[in-house]
Amino acid sequence: MREFFEKLSRIDRRIIYLTVFLATAIPILTKITMKIEPLPEVVKAYNYIESLPESTIVMVSIDYDAASMPELQPMLETFLHHAFRKNLKVIMLGHWPLGLPLGQQALEDLAKKYNKVYGVDYVFLGYRPGVAAVIINMGKEIRNVFSTDYKYTPIDSLPLMRRVKNYKDIKLLFGLEAGAVGDSWIQYGYARYGLPIILGTTAVMTPDYYPYLQANQVISVIGGLRGAADYETLVGIKGQASIGMLPQSVIHLVIIAFIIIGNIGFLVLRRTKK
Amino acid sequence: MKLAILLLLWQASPVNVRAYDTPNDAGGSITVTWGLDTTWAVSKIEIYRTQDPNVPDTLIETLFKVETQFQDLGVVDKTPYYYRVQIYQGDSLIAEGKTTQPAISTAQWFNSRRLSVLIILIFYTAFLIYFIMRARVDKNLFIRKIAGLEAIDEAVGRSTEMGRPILYVMGLGFISDIPTVASLAILKRVAYKAAEYEADVIVPCYDPIVMVAAQETVKEGYIEAGRPDLYKESNIYYLTSDQFGYAAGVDGIMMRQRPGAVFLQGYFYAESLILAETGHSIGAIQISGTTAVTQLPFFIASTDYTLIGEEMYAASAYLSRDALSLGTIKGEDYIKMVLVIIIFIGSLMETFGIGNHMLVNFFNIF
Amino acid sequence: MKKEIPLAITFISGFLLVLALFIPHKPFGNLEEIFNDWYIIVSGFTMLLGIDSLLGYNFGKIRRKEKDAPYALILILSFFLTLLWGVIEIIRTPEHNPFSPSSTFSRYFYNSIFVPLQSTMFAILSFFIASAAYRAFRAKEFNSALLLVSAVIVMLGRIPLGQGAAPYVITIIFLIFAWYFYSEAVGITETRIKLIYILVAILFVVLIYPIGWVYLRQHIPSFSDWLMNVPQMAGKRGIMIGIALGGIAMSIRIILGIERTYMK
Repeated sequence: MREFFEKLSRIDRRIIYLTVFLATAIPILTKITMKIEPLPEVVKAYNYIESLPESTIVMVSIDYDAASMPELQPMLETFLHHAFRKNLKVIMLGHWPLGLPLGQQALEDLAKKYNKVYGVDYVFLGYRPGVAAVIINMGKEIRNVFSTDYKYTPIDSLPLMRRVKNYKDIKLLFGLEAGAVGDSWIQYGYARYGLPIILGTTAVMTPDYYPYLQANQVISVIGGLRGAADYETLVGIKGQASIGMLPQSVIHLVIIAFIIIGNIGFLVLRRTKK
Repeated sequence: MKLAILLLLWQASPVNVRAYDTPNDAGGSITVTWGLDTTWAVSKIEIYRTQDPNVPDTLIETLFKVETQFQDLGVVDKTPYYYRVQIYQGDSLIAEGKTTQPAISTAQWFNSRRLSVLIILIFYTAFLIYFIMRARVDKNLFIRKIAGLEAIDEAVGRSTEMGRPILYVMGLGFISDIPTVASLAILKRVAYKAAEYEADVIVPCYDPIVMVAAQETVKEGYIEAGRPDLYKESNIYYLTSDQFGYAAGVDGIMMRQRPGAVFLQGYFYAESLILAETGHSIGAIQISGTTAVTQLPFFIASTDYTLIGEEMYAASAYLSRDALSLGTIKGEDYIKMVLVIIIFIGSLMETFGIGNHMLVNFFNIF
Repeated sequence: MKKEIPLAITFISGFLLVLALFIPHKPFGNLEEIFNDWYIIVSGFTMLLGIDSLLGYNFGKIRRKEKDAPYALILILSFFLTLLWGVIEIIRTPEHNPFSPSSTFSRYFYNSIFVPLQSTMFAILSFFIASAAYRAFRAKEFNSALLLVSAVIVMLGRIPLGQGAAPYVITIIFLIFAWYFYSEAVGITETRIKLIYILVAILFVVLIYPIGWVYLRQHIPSFSDWLMNVPQMAGKRGIMIGIALGGIAMSIRIILGIERTYMK
């Protein structure tokens, strides 16, 4: 009996890993989506974007790379669906050079789907080094940083960019954050120039950005896969995030089960030791 | 006819327009403000500017939403400007107004919005300098025991006994980040101890500048311990500047070289647990420390000792027992007490709605 | 002199930047940007240092025929292949951009090697979180029991299935606690303390229904939000204020030249 409880309190790592793997893989393969009640923060973000009038200019910042793709790519795609459906104009740039192709691919694919024209409905600016310096300088004059887009086309030859001088002409920054770039957007973009910001963050980073939400320095924060699934639900898309809800639920329950099992073993052993 | 007169009157509806030098800036900017009637359905607002009131003005900006303020960034300092604002409802002009006094932009020598920061900074620095001075006289400043720092010697010793190297990970910070500088202070101690025990210290780096600083620090530690001959520069090398590439690289080093002690000191992001769990799986004694609040729970769960936030900053003073550094820590503690009292009074006042005029004004500057 | 000059540079630039925060007038107003630009330029060049170190280290391994020399070889080959292909794509593509839509190989390389590798590393986190949670959340004492229960509640509050599962999970946890207190009580000889333990055990059983089946089944998301927004945030803010104060003290030590571990 004692041996059994000892086993419970010292389950081999590999057994835990295998269980986690199965608990994720099997639900993903079923592709079942779940009915979810969107979190209030996500509803707030959705309502703000919904309230923007047609042909308003919004900016998307790709501050993540392939590692955070499962969480942030669905958010980006949903935002682009949302923006293009509402006929908003999208300017995309980024501070993580290795993540930019992800943003570019999503932008090009969805622009094609909604028959949007490059330079009129959307623009891809690309990357410039120096996060804080880039954000500060764009607040004065976007041409100080991006005189051309990623194809070296002068931005003044693009009809959309002729309408943009600085953040005054941009009504929303949608920042997809896997790290600390969001801090810079808030500290310089919002605090110095009043740029309205919605952040889509990975679950690990979300608690870091909540204080800004409480202080009303950002309009809202869409956190993790759950936030992405909520946003998909609100926009009416069945995307990767919604499919990810079942595995996420199962894995949470599996971890809780492991915690309970570990404690049963631990408490019994402690009792018998006395 | 009546309608035409009414329209004319309506068109003439005056707006109060003001223009003034934008405060607290480096010049080159004039702020224009105007009043709006809440009954108007504003479609657009046009702003005109001229340098001479006798010359027709030109359109400089059209706003398509309800705003009562505009910042003109296209002005030259020390030049007078006059402004006119036209407000439209649909396509028809419903109101108009212009400035009578010229506005002149200048640069300011003090940003009054940062007065509160300046006051706090002066207070804080004065406190620190006072305690630095005192530390010169009173050499016995008390500082509480920090378990994570006490354990450094033991970790290095045990690792050496097992005949294994020591792995020191500085995280993803750059040299401009304070946690990285704090981490260097701890690295120096680790290097010093390692030199005493004749053990190897491996430092894979995320940033080339940090790598150079780490090389200098380790070398210094070896020299201080009197064993410069044992220092191997090739043990402190650059790995990659990609977050998970770095995590993979460090994990690989852990699995292949099996260090007996792992130090995770610096600024970490999502890779923190990947590193700490791998370190745990190879049975190394682990001492972590970071100021990244979200990563602290991971470190506390997976490593043996964790330096929480400012404990890391205290490390160099704690380890060197340098009186001046200890003085700054003492000063920091006192200023923290002052802050706690201010926060406490502020929350009490807010909770009970006490509106003592002087106190409220005092807190308002913050 | 070797120490004095860097210390003087540190002092002057640190002091100037603090001053620049309060003076918008030129030349102070844009000092921060100028310094930032310089930093970017300098750090760009230091990448060469990094490459030199990386290649030197790995070539050294091959030369010394160390055990992991094959890995070093793979690293060096991948490094040069990527570099070479980037250069070819810059010349070849009309946009002169290795990531333009027409640079097929780079895109192929990016989508089929780089993306899966990075995603895999991050995905490993979920395995590690499971094993770390299993080990760390043990009810060793009152505090850790509290931590355990709040962790479980937050986890349940964040998932769609949470509301349905909450009553059962809470029942199990409370039963474990009740059983723990009861079994502790058995070993105690002093009647008064024994009685308290038994009472606590009964309390846990009694609370299962109102807490698990009535309250949490309805309110688990909002309760989990409350845990995150109030107790969690309060502790975090405390740590953050300490870090900020410690950071200022550290900066002042660096500017004044008291803290100088970072230099020779």
